[in-house]
Parts: sequence; C-alpha cells; structure tokens
Amino acid sequence: MARGGSVARLAAAALGLLLLSACTNNPYPDADDAARIFYRPLSEPPKSLDPAVSYNFSEHQITGVVYATLLDYHYLDRPYRLIPGLAREVPHAQVLPDGRVAYRFRLREGALYQGDPAFALGGASASAREVVAGDLAFQLMRIADPAVGSPVIATFAKIEGLREFSQRLEALREGDPEFARRRIDEQYAAAGGIAGVKVPDPHTFEIVLSEPYPLLLYWFTMPFTAPVPWEAVAYWDGEEGRAFFKDHPVGAGPFRLTKLEPQSRVVLERNPNWYGLLHPEWRAPAAVYPTQGEPGDAALGRLDPAYVGRALPFLDRVEFRIEKEDIPIFNKFLQGYYDSSGIVQESFDKIVHEGGLSPEMAARGMQLEKTVDPDVYYIGFNMDDPVVGTPAGEQGRKLRQAMSLVVDSREYARVFNNGRGVPAQSPLPPGIFGYQADYQNPFRRVDLERAKQLLDEAGYAKGIDPATGKPLRLSFDIGDTSTRGRVRFQFFVNAWNRLGLDVEIAATTYNQFQEKVRKNAYQIFMWGWVADYPDPENFLFLLWGPLANSKSHGSNTANFSNPRYDELFVKMKNAENGEPRLAMIREMRALLERERPWIELFHRENYTLFHGWVHNVKPAGLSLPTARYVDIDPELRSRQRAEWNQPVLWPAFALVALGIAVIAPGIVTFLRERQ
Amino acid sequence: MFAFVVRRAAYGFLTLLGVLLLLFALFFLYASPHEMARRAVGEKAPPEVLEQWIANHGYDKPKLWNPEHPLDTLLVDHFRRTLSFDFGRSDADGTPITQRLREGMGPSLALAIPSFVLGLLFSVALGLFVAYFRETYIDRMGVVLCVLTMSISTLLYIIGGQFLLGKLLRWFPISGFDASPSVIVRFLMLPLLVSLADGVGGSVRFYRTVFIEEGSRDYVRTARAKGCGDLRVMTHHVLRNALIPILTRVVVAIPFLFTGSLLLESFFGIPGLGSMTVDAIHGNDFATLRAMVFIGSLLFIGAQIATDVSYTLVDPRVRLE
Repeated sequence: MARGGSVARLAAAALGLLLLSACTNNPYPDADDAARIFYRPLSEPPKSLDPAVSYNFSEHQITGVVYATLLDYHYLDRPYRLIPGLAREVPHAQVLPDGRVAYRFRLREGALYQGDPAFALGGASASAREVVAGDLAFQLMRIADPAVGSPVIATFAKIEGLREFSQRLEALREGDPEFARRRIDEQYAAAGGIAGVKVPDPHTFEIVLSEPYPLLLYWFTMPFTAPVPWEAVAYWDGEEGRAFFKDHPVGAGPFRLTKLEPQSRVVLERNPNWYGLLHPEWRAPAAVYPTQGEPGDAALGRLDPAYVGRALPFLDRVEFRIEKEDIPIFNKFLQGYYDSSGIVQESFDKIVHEGGLSPEMAARGMQLEKTVDPDVYYIGFNMDDPVVGTPAGEQGRKLRQAMSLVVDSREYARVFNNGRGVPAQSPLPPGIFGYQADYQNPFRRVDLERAKQLLDEAGYAKGIDPATGKPLRLSFDIGDTSTRGRVRFQFFVNAWNRLGLDVEIAATTYNQFQEKVRKNAYQIFMWGWVADYPDPENFLFLLWGPLANSKSHGSNTANFSNPRYDELFVKMKNAENGEPRLAMIREMRALLERERPWIELFHRENYTLFHGWVHNVKPAGLSLPTARYVDIDPELRSRQRAEWNQPVLWPAFALVALGIAVIAPGIVTFLRERQ
Repeated sequence: MFAFVVRRAAYGFLTLLGVLLLLFALFFLYASPHEMARRAVGEKAPPEVLEQWIANHGYDKPKLWNPEHPLDTLLVDHFRRTLSFDFGRSDADGTPITQRLREGMGPSLALAIPSFVLGLLFSVALGLFVAYFRETYIDRMGVVLCVLTMSISTLLYIIGGQFLLGKLLRWFPISGFDASPSVIVRFLMLPLLVSLADGVGGSVRFYRTVFIEEGSRDYVRTARAKGCGDLRVMTHHVLRNALIPILTRVVVAIPFLFTGSLLLESFFGIPGLGSMTVDAIHGNDFATLRAMVFIGSLLFIGAQIATDVSYTLVDPRVRLE
C-alpha cells in the first residue's frame, strides 16, 4: 500500500514537473536563447526547393541563400545594381556577326558545394566537390526538361537550341521507356545538350542567345540559374528512404538546409563550405558587407563601422516557422519570438502614428521600415469589347478616360489599406528606371466635372446610353465572392455611379474568373503584377500587343494593341538604360495616358517591423533573400523577451473568483446533501 | 455475427463508393485542372507550363467518358487508384501522400489522444457527479454551464484561449509546434485545454442524461436498499449499465483521432492530418483530399461496425443478426 502510494506521488510529481515545464510561452528551446538565430514566420509551407521549379516568395527566402548565384544585387544601392556573385565579374553582351548575342561568365576557381552524401556518386569525397561550369549547363538543361516542369522555360527559350534540346529529350523518353530510367546526366548527354550553352573549360560558361535580351542577366541573380550538382539530382530521388531533390537542396550558398519539416519549420545553418567563408581573401563583393549605400543608409545605421567590409554571414542559423494566420505571427512578434513582422490591419493604429512608430512601440526599440513594392495594381478594360474597347473608337476612349477620372486611389488606400500605397500614375512603380516622381497623369486625378464632360462628348450624357435610354450598363468582372472583396470593388462602382453609369459587379469564384479570362469573356477587371526583376520591360510588356490574352493567352489581359506602342516596346526592351530609352518609355506612357487601357490604381507600400536587436535591415521590395546581411544581438533579445513576457495575472484571479462564486453554492449543496 | 459483419461491410463498401463519387463530382465542379496547375506552379507560369503540369499529373484525360478507351478517364482512374490504396503524390507539391500521412499522423495523435482520453474521463466523471445531484443547485448550474459552453463557437475558444493563456497569462505559446521532447508539451497544452473546454459541455450533458435514466432503474434502488454506498452505486452499477451509449459515442469518435482536428490544427499551426486536409482544400490538392476523405470514410465505416460488435462485449444480451 505504502509502495503504491509512493509510486502515485512520484507520478504526480513527474506530471507536475512536466506541466510546470510547459508553463512558458517561449516556443523555442531555452538553450537557443544565446545563439545568433534569426526567427522568421513563413506563411505557407515550401512546396518545392528545387531551384528550377520554385517560384514564390516564401521558397525564395530559402533557395536564395542555399544556392549561390552567378550574380547578385547590391544590398544597399538603389536603383538596383548587379554585382558579381559566383562569377568573377558581370559579363557584357557580345554581339556576334550574325546578330546573335553571347554572354561569357568566368567562375571563381575553388568555390565548393556544401557537404553532401550525393557527391559519392561522382567519386568525390562528401565535402569537396567544386562548382564547375558544367553544373550551370546542367541546370539550364533541367529548366528545358519537360519532366521538371520549370515555370520559366519560355524566358530561357531565347538560348539557342534550348527548345530543340527539350524536344529531343522528350522524344527519347517517349521512344524508349528504359531511357527515362537512366541517370539524369546520362539522359541529358544522350539528348546532346543545348547548342547555345558552351563550357570551354571548367570555369568558363558561355550562352548564345538567338536575339538580344539584356534582361537575361537579371535572371542570373535568381536560383533558377544557380549551379546544381547532377549528383544531387540523381541521388535524392525519393527511392530507398532517400528524400526527393525538391526537399533536399544541395547548393553552394551561405546557408545550408539542416531541417525541413515542411508543415512546421525549416532550419538553415551557416554553410562552412561557402566561398565567402572558405576564401575570405577573395573579398568577393557578394561575400562582404557593403561599404557604401544610397543616401540615408548611414543615418539609418546600415553602414555601421562594426559591419562595413566584414565577411558575411553574421548569423549562425535562420529558423522559419510555418504560421498561416497573421494574428498569431503579430502577437508572437510583440512577445519577441519573431524578429520581424508585418502589421495586422486590426493593430495598425496602435503601432503607427502619423506615419511613424507610436511612442509605445518606439519605446520598445522597434524599427519601422517602409518600402514601396515594385508592383502595380490596376483596373483594366477589355480592349476587344465593343463598348469599352477599341471597336468603340473615340466614344470608347472618352468613356475610359471619364471612368479613370473618378477613381480616387488615395481614398481607396485610406479606406482599405490604412493609407498604405502610392497612387499609380503609370504602370511603372518607384525604383524602376523610367519612373518619374513628379509625373501627374492628367486622367489619374479626380475631376468629376471633366469626367462628366468627357462622358457627354462620348455620347453618354449623364451616363445614359442613347440606345436604351437607360444608364449605360457595364460589367465589372471579379474573381472574389467574399463580402470583404465585394466592399472593395463596390468602392469603384460607387465612383462610376457618380457619372450615372450602371456598373454591375459580376462576382465569381477565382476559378470561374480565370475561365472567363481564358474565353476572353470579360469587360472590366482588376488585377496586379509584381516584378520579377527591376526593369521597365517587366511592366510595360503587360500591354504589348503580341501578348494579348485574346491572341496568345498572354499576360496582356487588357488586349491592348497599338502599333506604335508595340514598336517602341521592342526597341525599349533591348536598349541600355539612358536618355534614348527614357524617351521611348515616356512616349509609351503618353500613349497609355491617352488610350487608357488601364486605370492605374496604386503601388503597394509595405510596412515591416523589426526589433531593436536586428541589425542591417534594408527591405528590398523585390524578392531578395537578405539573411546573409542581417545580424542579431541575442543578449538584448533575451533581456527584452524576459521583460515583455511577465504574466498579467489579474485575468486568472478574476476567473478563480468567478469560479468560486459559481461553485460555492454547489459545495454548500454537496455538504447539505451529505448530511 | 459473422454474417452481420459481412453484410455491414458490404453496405459500408457501397457507402464508400458513394462518397468517392460525391467527392469527384464536388471537386471537379469546383476546380478545373487548369486552376490546380496554376496553384501548383504559380500565377505567372505560361500556358505551356500549365499544360505540361496537367499532362504530367494525368488530368488531361476526359473526366467521365472516353469513347476510344472507356476505362481511360479521370473518374475510372479516381476509383481504381483509391480503392487499390494507391494514393500517389500530392498535386500541390509532389510529395508521396503516404509519406505525408506518416508525417501528419504523429502530431495529430499527439493532440487527439490526450484530448480524447482526458475529455472522456473528465466528462464521464462530471456527468456522474451532476447526475448524482440531480434536481439540486449543482445539477441546474451544471446544465446551465453545459448549455453555455455548447453555445460558444469553437473559434471563440481558440481565440479566447490564445488571448488569455498565451497573450495575457503567457503560460503557453500562442501557436506553433515542435516535436522535440523538451518543448512539445508546451505546444500541446493550449490546444488541449481549448479542446477540453470546447467538448466538455455537450459530453457532460449527454452523459448526465444517460446516467439519470440509468439511475432511476429498479436495480439501483435495490443496490441502495442492500446498503451499497453512493460511490459504488454510481461507478459499479450505473456506469457499467450505461456503457452502451457511452461506447456508441466513444467508438464513433475514434476515427477522428486519426484524421485530426481541422480547426484546432489549423489555428494552432499543428502539422497534423487535419491541417493537411484544410491545406488540400485551399490548395486544390485533389490527390491529398481524395486520400483523406477515403481514409476518413473507411475508418468511420469500420468504427460503426466495431461499435455494433462491441455491444455484444459489454452486454451479453445483445445478439447481432
């Protein structure tokens, strides 16, 4: 009996200890408090970390630091500037006698991949495989491989022979099922490689384009074109207990993936084989903290002498936690368990006062970083439509101009985005070549009287359609059936109602809306575009005639087609930044200003909060992984976490009191019943 | 009994076919293969990449009828693969679904088993307690509290729990999951408490009714007349004889331990099968959804049969014919 009692006591004590150990809101092991770990939330689990496939912001935060690219963006300079990464220098285009264009990259000698068992396949020791030019050719062949399903194959089709390689490979696989089971490098070799990709020696890599495409260099800052060892793709095949390559990236970047629990966390640790750590004597531009930035960076502490010129990275580890809901992320940030966060709309007024941090948040040592994203949101007209489009001629043009003149982007941002967002005057956002801060689009200011006059000139006096004698009926096709979405779209409809127009919201699910787009069955729509790279081409192509949705299912959903615009676009996209290019952009802008295929709405403005213990932060707008530049002060973090996480006990006391008030009569009843 | 089990299994199989047919119809009415492809490869992917994805995943086949090869349709494929337990790979990320099931089962069970066991013990004990004091303040207050807790939405428990225990009292992390032994308990405590608070009202009310009904039977009076103590009457006589309704409720709930809690896992960021199902719905991941619905239905049908069989174990008078 006594023994049983002691066991029970022991069990109770163990349970008590367990529960006591559970009584902390710190989501991380206590041992990690002193480490230089950057904690970040990820809004969705990574689907694929294969650099040929991965094409979203969350995954890029991982692949962008696990894979080393040939080129990088300068961390601080704006406008964005390319610097060499794994390449020795940024190459220049060489125009060949027949009009083709070649780029020659020279690789740094002695750069290594992270250690990985896959390298045993090639006979190398597990930690000593060098990055060679053949790995870049291999990765381009993967982009061309139909079985890989790379979303950027069309971009790289400008490389001579890429399409042909793709077709040969597919034919070989279809012709012989055994062929598809051969090792991947053997399959590519049998298909003959890509004609326009040359590897004259292990440290030289050359590509030949069938037409000039200077923007291709931007793609060499992205993991799509990072060197990938064939051994890793062959070894990590999902067989015999091995992971798939998409879940086991093997790169040559500053960090390596050490833990992937796709539904809960991703852990990156410093890669000891990174060229920045192995060869600090190279002083490679992408491996040391920049010594200069744009004006204002020094005042904001981004050129702290403690960091300038120092070898990267500063962090030991980057930990991503999968958090799908915004509110828990924000609450954990306020508790000090995430190092950065956006601002949830519900708490905006508590955090931001008059454009800056509220005194309460400033007292916590927080930093607020604002960036204008390189994107554009717009309302588009289907230019094939007989009422609002090109077939309606001058009448349609004036109708579009009138509708543009009553949409107030500033008010929209104030009502729906806490005032965040820069009203757009043209497709080009700030920070992109060709953007002009003082440019005011005459049809993007609010002028109801002028709008009414234009509508009158269009033959729709007071919004009345002469054919029916009733207000002109238009359809605003949206792919959002939520109440919240409807309220947002109603804002625009209300503006057009002021002109007397009868605009009906045709709300469908996003799928049905996509179907409408496929069938070209829409009249007015709203859409947005986020840049892949910082060049005006990446915005102005959205209105290029040959990409019209109705002709080629391309990205020109407005189906805008203007011969002069199309001609200018082709010239502009191949031109170097300079006065002639600027003149072309201005002429294109003027055409859009008059034709109004779009009502440009706004460029998103991002407010990001960082704690005072995070150093060297510079939000980029573009999807740029910044972990290699950031540093953490773990001592300050621990101190502030302890300070901010003292329990507020009165709710517990109040609950206990309420419980007693409810239970006490019950106890009295119980005692009375017992008697 | 064997014939009974076979007959029920046959009915169950027909139900399963119906569920699969319904799932196919609902899913493909809602989503098109193009939309699935767009979700998987990204909004910016050009049409040729979408077509390639659709072909690679076999969604380029006719949905219902293929005059050249009648058995080569999406519908036939759906039934063939599911019924042969060939779940394939997730449409969203290409991960083998069996691997996802293996990975998700642990976190789901880590939350569901303690919630289930503690919830059952707590509810039965409270049910007995309230039933014993029927028609007193305790009983009336118990019923009021039960109805009150039943009337509150699960979402409010979740948000309230996160606010009170995570944000104000700071006893537990607001959300997240880490399977490391040193920290796993702190992640499970809050969802566990929320789950208990959410489920206890309905359960206590149900068990109270069962126990009150059982407590008014003659054998209870006889037991008391023979000098049996209150505790013994309630636990040895009333509880035992009330096992059939308890079993019905308990066994039917068991399948849901495996399929996970959709809301709790999603809101607390627990990477279990429940949140996997929610992600599959949001992400148009038909392959994963098909596997989860199939497994859920199979377990549910199995549990129904097991419930019937278990009646004979707790009550020898029951005969299955």
